[in-house]
Amino acid sequence: MPVEEPGRRLMHHVGLKFVVKRVAGGGGRGVNAALSLTSMIDFLVVTVVFLLMTFSASGETPVSQGVNLPKAENTMDMVDAPMVAIAGSQVLVDGAPAGNTRAIEDSKRMQRVEELFSILKSKRELWKQTHPGPREFPGVVILQVDQDITAVVVKSVFQTAAFAGYPNVSFMVNSIPKTQH
Amino acid sequence: MGGVNVDSGGKGGRRSLDSEINMIPMIDLLMVTISFLLITAVWSHMARLNADAQVPGPPRPDTEQTPKEPDKTLHIEMKSPEKFALIWKQGATVISTVDVPRKDVVEKEGSVKVIRFPDLAAKVESEWKINGTYRDASAKKFDQAVLHTDNETPYGAIIGVIDAVYQVHRPYSTGSKTENVPAFNVTFSVN
Repeated sequence: MPVEEPGRRLMHHVGLKFVVKRVAGGGGRGVNAALSLTSMIDFLVVTVVFLLMTFSASGETPVSQGVNLPKAENTMDMVDAPMVAIAGSQVLVDGAPAGNTRAIEDSKRMQRVEELFSILKSKRELWKQTHPGPREFPGVVILQVDQDITAVVVKSVFQTAAFAGYPNVSFMVNSIPKTQH
Repeated sequence: MGGVNVDSGGKGGRRSLDSEINMIPMIDLLMVTISFLLITAVWSHMARLNADAQVPGPPRPDTEQTPKEPDKTLHIEMKSPEKFALIWKQGATVISTVDVPRKDVVEKEGSVKVIRFPDLAAKVESEWKINGTYRDASAKKFDQAVLHTDNETPYGAIIGVIDAVYQVHRPYSTGSKTENVPAFNVTFSVN
């Protein structure tokens, strides 16, 4: 069906003549502007695809405040395990306080962190009660340590975890892409 | 309203075959999806470096204890600020000792210092090619590397050394497929 230009009678109630002229397309530029949706939809689709590709269903691993994790290239995926964080001189297990390392820093000698030891041991006992059967205890613990902490503190926490029945100790790091050698 | 016009050449007198796909719900859906993905996006990827503590347990009563030759282990000493010492040992017997000059490659990324030891990684790889026991893809065990540090070494440098050791890769056959995995198991010595 052909499209016909509307006549003046459609706008007889409009009082202003220049408005009537303009709307009727009397020589002036049309007031309707077309918006191209194709490029916008293209952009949205590309954004959705990019975000879906970088989406992680496992979520973000919480890092304790004041902990600057070191970065490493040759890393492994995270596992679900108790998280021991050393933030300043405070030791935290899954976010809950578990002693401090002030005595180790002062003496500069390796010491067992007793509170951490008992918390990890009780977590181990709890795991055994909740997993009866032949399945062996994995003994994995993940250490979240600030990059500037000295080795004596790391060794003390490491040894404490090992004595509490967690021989598989992992260090949490920020993963960076591998450099070409 | 945005729409897509599919012109199929309808003639007068009959119902037009032109149809419009409504774009609004589609754009709404895309917007909501983008918002959800942006809110739940994880930009920092956490990972881990494994460093087992070798704690010998009591002998298992159900397995026969036969004396066997101990495996060769690579001991990496980072007690000196000038050099690393790579020592291959078999039990208490020292097989070989190599010194590697310590050259820290430090890169600053924001507030985090990334410390790398590329020379150490190259030397560990060449040493493993000479002395490594489990180099074959069919080997189920891995060579052991033991890291010794002094008490004052910053944790960032320890991670740099562990990362350098894990840079050495070997093929590992898992039945149907072969993949490249780190050649060493790193143990962090607490002595």
